[in-house]
Amino acid sequence: MMAYSEDDIARAIEYALGTLDAEERAQVEAKMSVEKDFTAMVRAWEYKLGVLNEMVGPIEPSPELWDRIKSVTGVSQPQEPVLLPELARPVPETPEPVATTAAGVDDSAASVIRLSAQVRRWRGVASFTTAIAAALVAMLALGAYQPDLLPNAIRPKPRTQVAEVRPSPTPAQQPAQAPQYVAVLQKDAGSPAFILTVDGATKNFIVRRVAAQPEPGRSYELWIVSDKLQRPRSLGVIGADDFTARPVLAAYAPEIVDQATYAVTIEPEGGSPTGVATGPIVFTGKLVETVPPAASGPGKP
Amino acid sequence: MLTPAELVWLIAAVAKGDEAAFERLYAATRAKLFGVVLRILRRQELAEEVIQETYVKIWNSAGQFNPGLSSPITWMASIARNRAIDVVRKRTEVSIEEEPTALEVAADGHDPLARREMTEELKRLLECVGRLEPERQKLVLLAYYNGWSREQLAAKFETPVNTVKTWLRRSMMDIRECLGL
Repeated sequence: MMAYSEDDIARAIEYALGTLDAEERAQVEAKMSVEKDFTAMVRAWEYKLGVLNEMVGPIEPSPELWDRIKSVTGVSQPQEPVLLPELARPVPETPEPVATTAAGVDDSAASVIRLSAQVRRWRGVASFTTAIAAALVAMLALGAYQPDLLPNAIRPKPRTQVAEVRPSPTPAQQPAQAPQYVAVLQKDAGSPAFILTVDGATKNFIVRRVAAQPEPGRSYELWIVSDKLQRPRSLGVIGADDFTARPVLAAYAPEIVDQATYAVTIEPEGGSPTGVATGPIVFTGKLVETVPPAASGPGKP
Repeated sequence: MLTPAELVWLIAAVAKGDEAAFERLYAATRAKLFGVVLRILRRQELAEEVIQETYVKIWNSAGQFNPGLSSPITWMASIARNRAIDVVRKRTEVSIEEEPTALEVAADGHDPLARREMTEELKRLLECVGRLEPERQKLVLLAYYNGWSREQLAAKFETPVNTVKTWLRRSMMDIRECLGL
């Protein structure tokens, strides 16, 4: 590859990032049309940054879109299914488009449309919060992975793993429509120790251990602190595993859960014997909404 | 989502004009691509136009996909995102206050932090982003995920556009160095 100036490289990267204005984008595209190496550099950066899209959640477009694409490309309705070689027929994450007849309208797509109509009532919601949701998620993921940062090629499995918590007490709850809250419990900005996530519907919470390990003979205990409560209440000892999941937040009013500060103290092994925090507060954080709730009752009929 | 290997196979079939493969590819990837462009365009109908153009382009240029350079979904998302950025840059600037759309229902039914499948490439990139100062991290991620222009970023960070320009450039050069490129 030919050597490019730092300006050219910066241009290529910013094109991939998307921050150039229309004119600068046109200039980059003009250069790409005549310089293969430059094109390769731009594409390489697009792919390099493109992994960020792994964090973006899928959203169904309208079912009619496929018809429009078919008519533009001249593709007709296929007659027989494609068989993939040597692989069991995978289950696609999204339903196959059924479309065509009114009765066969893709269920989930239809409910997404209905949701989106209802969501217009959400206009008042601070759009900034929404806008940074993905960024926040990525940053949290980042915090979670940083502790594992090693200065070499081989990296152990990340310490954080996934726990799936069944929303136990509330039946027929659609998790997709519940707001999700997250708090990063940390000592200072650069050192997240726990990530607390709360399901808005079930109030189940999960504490994810990122970095902290208590000294031997000591336990970390989680507290909810609110001016609406007379004193901090224990949410229990954080277990030795990577994940601790509990439903006890259901006992608190939603506005308390939303507004409270969550604090972790160091207590004797097994937790405070008195129900009152005895040790120093080592980590604190507040909840941030990551996925706002949909309007009530949009589920399937 | 199909596995990358299955998507590669489908794209290869699409390159030969296999219409059934095209439909399967669409079914497997449309929601992901739509999620990516809706975040940037914030309007359902604009986003659907971009998705339509994207799949037309995929239909016409599937033969150019090189699995040695990127994963299939990254290749497809790049086409979609580029188109979305072009559209958004050519429009009179979209206000960051513009009304929310179906974005709010982006929940895919899972705690977004509990995503199991994070590729090594993503972890590596996030580590490098994570070495930036917190404000710069936010700047870079907002630029990427929301497709914000320097002007929008300047408004958000209450900073002159030229400063944002400098920050972006330094941040990306730092990431480049961190990635060893």
